[in-house]
Amino acid sequence: MLVDFEVIKRAQTGESAAFNEVVLAYRKRVLGTIARSIARPEDVEDVAQEVFLRLYFSLEQLRTPEVFEPWLYRLTVNAAYDYLRKQRRRMEYRMSDLSEQQVIMADAVAGGKIERDVQYHKKIRESVDSLLGAVSEADRILLMLKEVDGLSLKELEKIYKVNENALKVRLFRARQRVLKAFGGAGKAKKPEEAG
Amino acid sequence: MDAMRGSDEERLDALFLAFRDCPTPEPSVNFMPTLWARIESRQRIAFSFRRLAGVFVTAALALSVALGVYLAVPHSNQAYYSQTYIEAAASSNVNTADVVGPVLVDFSDSGR
Repeated sequence: MLVDFEVIKRAQTGESAAFNEVVLAYRKRVLGTIARSIARPEDVEDVAQEVFLRLYFSLEQLRTPEVFEPWLYRLTVNAAYDYLRKQRRRMEYRMSDLSEQQVIMADAVAGGKIERDVQYHKKIRESVDSLLGAVSEADRILLMLKEVDGLSLKELEKIYKVNENALKVRLFRARQRVLKAFGGAGKAKKPEEAG
Repeated sequence: MDAMRGSDEERLDALFLAFRDCPTPEPSVNFMPTLWARIESRQRIAFSFRRLAGVFVTAALALSVALGVYLAVPHSNQAYYSQTYIEAAASSNVNTADVVGPVLVDFSDSGR
């Protein structure tokens, strides 16, 4: 926990200073989760504010401060999901849709050959964003939480309130789809390499 | 085939790892002021909506009470509805021939 239970209780009573404290403690984490889920840096802050806005108006519904973190994650996941759904930017990406540059980038990342700079990170984001187009918005977020944020299945179970086995199946299928898209991109790249 | 898949798995993991290392955007200096502005804006909307809903509830309640009172008070024309059509017709035309009652035939005059 990044804040004391007492602070959350005070925020629940409507104390602005306590709510500020909660936001300041968690905003970096929320921004990170959203940034990785939506892969659009320009919209990250807006979605993060939406999360805290929902938090403000629903905080009194929280029964115990002990479950605050999974609950905040749930709000974050829902806001990211709503954003992705609104964007309707799932254009049935396949790796073949990726530019040659993105495919080279994916390989280069594995080899660790490229210098880390702003451009590099931008391209990583674009590659991951395109790859995750192979799965639904909901699975995309789930995959991000597991593979990138590194949440355990137990934590995900608390967030999604879904059986661990069901989560495992969903994660496996989502990963297989992404992997297929990733493999497809490799194959798409090969003829050009040959030429 | 499996070896290729394994290689893809590793490359994908590496890509995710690199993605994890991407710097997360820092909150801007306007993060908190904008957040509070949005909270207050939504509170205002909620307040206006609640006030509007209150006005509607009060108006509906007043209308119900008025309707209840109107229905409870006996009206002067209520007598009309307690009569049958025939009775009403008979009472409104007292001087006309009684078409409803039995016909009386005077036989005493007919013999003369």
